[in-house]
Amino acid sequence: MTYNPRMNEGEPARETNTFSDDGVDLTLIRWLLSLTPAERLAVLQSNMRSLEPLRGAANRR
Amino acid sequence: MPPTVADVSGLLRVLAEHDVSFLVVGGVCAVIHGAPVSTFDLDIVPERSDDNVARLLRALASVEAVHRDLAGRSIPPDASRLSGPGHNLFMTRSGPLDILGTIGEGRDFSTLASRSRTIDLGEGLTARVLDLDALIDVKREVGREKDLATLPILVRTLEERRRREG
Repeated sequence: MTYNPRMNEGEPARETNTFSDDGVDLTLIRWLLSLTPAERLAVLQSNMRSLEPLRGAANRR
Repeated sequence: MPPTVADVSGLLRVLAEHDVSFLVVGGVCAVIHGAPVSTFDLDIVPERSDDNVARLLRALASVEAVHRDLAGRSIPPDASRLSGPGHNLFMTRSGPLDILGTIGEGRDFSTLASRSRTIDLGEGLTARVLDLDALIDVKREVGREKDLATLPILVRTLEERRRREG
């Protein structure tokens, strides 16, 4: 479940835009949509846990 | 010291084990639908009948929930607050859990339930999750800067989903 920014290569032309007009990263959306809901939740939980020490360090400053 | 990020699956499992009726909303809801946003807590909208609030209280007791209080007081959950429309922000031994009586313009469980679906979250865990288009409507209603900031991501995710589903 590792994000690969080149994952859209080889897809039809309509999927090659990497950003929407308002600046949203479409590659991240397409990657998450390629996962099951359970896998998406696992990604979120992993991100939350990896950022927890950074939040703690910021709060101590 | 309790964790500062939610054990999302753990909290959902505790609520399910206590037979609590609720909807997952907020950032966790957005991610489950495929939106790349970040959050550190679990937001739910519970059904607010007396029986369900009693089950919710038992679930909260099992994770040692207390209100997040800037003054450091240890305030346990109570039925009257959980039965109301307000927001109850708890810290539990499984991290932060926000229990929201209503969201948006006074939308509660009964008005949101028809715009939700039960989703398989793996390892035998299922949860009823607000639909993405309903979450977008709520964010628009609230209109706070933090909600508006994520709105473009939610809208583009909904567009991508619809495009994929044809």
